[in-house]
Amino acid sequence: MTAYLIRRIGISIVVIVGIALLTFVATHVIAPTPGRAVLGDKATIAAVDAFNRAHGYDRAVWAQFGSYLWQLVHGNLGYSYKLNQSVDSLIIENAPHSMWLSGSSLVLSILIAIPLGIFQAVKRNSVADQSITAVAFTAYSMPQNFLGILLIGFLAISFHVFPAEASQNEGILPYMLALRANFLPIMTLTITAVAGYSRYMRSSALDALAQDYIRLARAKGLAERTVLRRHLFRNASLSLVTLIGLSIPALLGGNLVVEYLFNSHGLGLLFINELGNEDFSTVIALTLLAGIATVVGNLVADVALTVADPRIRIN
Amino acid sequence: MRGLSTGARAGTALAAALVLVAGATTTTAASATTSSDTLPGAYGSVPPQTGKPTNGGVVTIAESPGAGATYIFPIYPAADASIGTNQQFQQYMWRSLWWSPKGASPVIDYSQSIAGPPVYSNGNKTVTVHLYPGWKWSDGTPITSKDLAFDYWLLEGAVNKTVGGSPANYGDYTPGLYPDNVTSVATPNASTFVINFNKGYNQNFIFLEELGVLEPLPAHAWSKTSVGGPIIPFNNLKNAAAIYKFLNAQSNKLSTYGSNPLWQVVDGPFKIKSFDPATDGNTLVANPAYTGPVKPHLAGIDNVAFTSTSAEFDQLLTGKLDVGFIDFSDLPQVPSLVSHGYSVFGYPDFGFAYVGYNFKDPTGDFDHIISQLYVRQALAHLQDEPAEIKSRGLYDGAAGQAYGPVPAIPVSPFTPSNALANPYPFSIAEAAAQLTKHGWKVVPNGTTTCQNAGSGPKQCGAGIPEGTPMKWNLYYASGATITEGLVEAWVSNLKQVGINVSLSSKTFNYITGELSDVSAPANDKIWAMECFGGFTDDYYPTTNELFNTTGSFNQGGFSNPALDQDIINSEFSLSNSAVQKELTLVTYLQPGLFQPNEDRLRAFSDTLSGPAASFFDATQEQYSPEYWYFKS
Repeated sequence: MTAYLIRRIGISIVVIVGIALLTFVATHVIAPTPGRAVLGDKATIAAVDAFNRAHGYDRAVWAQFGSYLWQLVHGNLGYSYKLNQSVDSLIIENAPHSMWLSGSSLVLSILIAIPLGIFQAVKRNSVADQSITAVAFTAYSMPQNFLGILLIGFLAISFHVFPAEASQNEGILPYMLALRANFLPIMTLTITAVAGYSRYMRSSALDALAQDYIRLARAKGLAERTVLRRHLFRNASLSLVTLIGLSIPALLGGNLVVEYLFNSHGLGLLFINELGNEDFSTVIALTLLAGIATVVGNLVADVALTVADPRIRIN
Repeated sequence: MRGLSTGARAGTALAAALVLVAGATTTTAASATTSSDTLPGAYGSVPPQTGKPTNGGVVTIAESPGAGATYIFPIYPAADASIGTNQQFQQYMWRSLWWSPKGASPVIDYSQSIAGPPVYSNGNKTVTVHLYPGWKWSDGTPITSKDLAFDYWLLEGAVNKTVGGSPANYGDYTPGLYPDNVTSVATPNASTFVINFNKGYNQNFIFLEELGVLEPLPAHAWSKTSVGGPIIPFNNLKNAAAIYKFLNAQSNKLSTYGSNPLWQVVDGPFKIKSFDPATDGNTLVANPAYTGPVKPHLAGIDNVAFTSTSAEFDQLLTGKLDVGFIDFSDLPQVPSLVSHGYSVFGYPDFGFAYVGYNFKDPTGDFDHIISQLYVRQALAHLQDEPAEIKSRGLYDGAAGQAYGPVPAIPVSPFTPSNALANPYPFSIAEAAAQLTKHGWKVVPNGTTTCQNAGSGPKQCGAGIPEGTPMKWNLYYASGATITEGLVEAWVSNLKQVGINVSLSSKTFNYITGELSDVSAPANDKIWAMECFGGFTDDYYPTTNELFNTTGSFNQGGFSNPALDQDIINSEFSLSNSAVQKELTLVTYLQPGLFQPNEDRLRAFSDTLSGPAASFFDATQEQYSPEYWYFKS
């Protein structure tokens, strides 16, 4: 296991450096000297040249990449001239809110989707199963922004049950405690996630229910609840483990639609805004971060699978 | 300098745009006694000035998404210059020497200014500024001419290369102009500031384009190089550069804006209380020691940051904002907003939108075709501005007509007469007649071709071979429904005289940064026409850099020697009507297709009140909340 982890981490580092290189090269192909993008179209040529010279953008690309890697090694992700802050600061300011919205909705989704999927599998083709399936399909096919707009329209603007925007608290603790303010954005994320997860869970549970060990457990006279809890739940959940692992990048990547609709500043919106602003320091850093999260998510999913299912052994 | 703006015309503001004018037409915020809650050509109305003014209350104002303030020190770098909110944010705390606008008019409001009109002498080489008495900093120190000299020296320290400065350190800096062209400054007494230039300039130019950046800064509190350091002399380059470096470094610490004592010394009606660097949202409190024309009724301002226009509009609908903006996508919902207790007011800013022509594109001989004045005039005749403005699918009345580089409204003292009434009114017949008269075989809804090649008066024009079809392309900025609708309406009219234009949408950044980059001639053959939005004019609206032959944003390579001379005259001629002459010629020459100038739409809660002019100016990116109050 340890050797496997070391090998995977080594490969991950290579992948991450590759991501950094590709992103760096791609952005430099688009805008070789960011002075014009930073200073605007009306900036004088003298100002643009001075900016590029002052920040080393007049050097060869490989030299710039070397400097960039050296910065990374020292934990410096660069500087956003558009936002007048270091990229590290931007991530520290924006990541907690994104992680809370994404993380809480992920946990809620799992807590709802697993029992829901098992219930549907056990009550297969019943009225309840068909009804839940209809609702799940509707939610799954509904664009997230449309769902958000519906929730805002009904629950915030028409009936004033919840605020139309997420909490505007700066600190993460008061932000987390603002349950009412964050209810609608978390629900928007959760409903669409539950719709997807519950379908996976139902399918997986149906497969497990047809297995011999379930029939054996029932034949032994175990209570149905015990059969479901001890034998069905663990086996049926395996398919979700990989899905959840792949959801980890969203924790850091933020949720663009929800942040956009519910006025919650986070990493997803930061990425899109700065992409539009040609703020490449921020874009490269966030891409790198998303790459790291994806690699880590995959690793966590693989390890979690071995823990959840003793039959799976890492080779 | 003009502010580049997108198809939505959002986010840019005048930098230090002021105008020399006497006898302006609108009321001032200070002396607003008008009973009118709207303006001719405006959309909707502002809250009526009713109710008994009460003191207290915090007004919540929406910031445009992605355009929050990012810099507090008034000498802001070029990187922060395109963010209009910076200017607005700073003006709450540090006032320009000459205040503008005056209501919605692009003119100076001397009743709110710190100085009177400048006095010119020595062939316009010397300018003397007299400060009005009574203005003080928030700590009680009087504002003096030394505070203006401090501003000048800091600017020198910021941009002068001999002391490590950079042109990128100041957004409004143009090499060779202010402060490079200043030979000396003097402060003969506390209320008099004298600037000597190396040559004589046009008075309006020197006032609005050069001295417009002047702004008193608190030398007694800021002239130092470290937080606990002593106040040092600022009137030498070495010290000035060190002081600038210190203040710039302080301004880069966004999280300290609310706590840094430096930023508490202000001469404006409000002071910073807190700043959230994650969102750029901020709060300000009233400056009780404000010595301007009226002390604020409000206790403070909450500038609320938003991630999207839809999130902001939802907050308006739920009554959580006192002042907000309205995106054109939300225009159909204005009646609902009004029913929720808001007054909605829209008025164009002082600027223009246009379709740019590429005079360097040889594809299909477009360069030769578009060089013909009669062709450009025919193209102008094919635009139906009144219909576009009236269209519910486009502006629904929320725009003003514009026929040149200055709009028909708001009116500037420099607006020429041919920009007030359409010189090329919509007429398909007239456009067809123009083309036919010049040797084209017009085929309505077909393809018009050159039938009579040559450079004679009745021929197509030099370089246009016989049989050349009128078939071009037009790139427009994606994401703005109105931009798309405008070009589609125009192209549909062009088709009626046999001009075929293919439309392609590209991102705003691609069009302005790549396609039409004057330093990227490789793209010259790709595009014939482009539409990305337009510009916010300076109050001295010379088209320098846009339509002069060597202009840095003359993306289509338009060139007209007479106009080049007029632009030079706008800067150096002693005639105060020089820029009108220039603007008259640009409007006549039609170097681009000038489009309607869309309104800046603002919503004000009906719980707010104040002089109408103090709300009108919100459409010109300048709020005057010191005049507002919550009704009792």
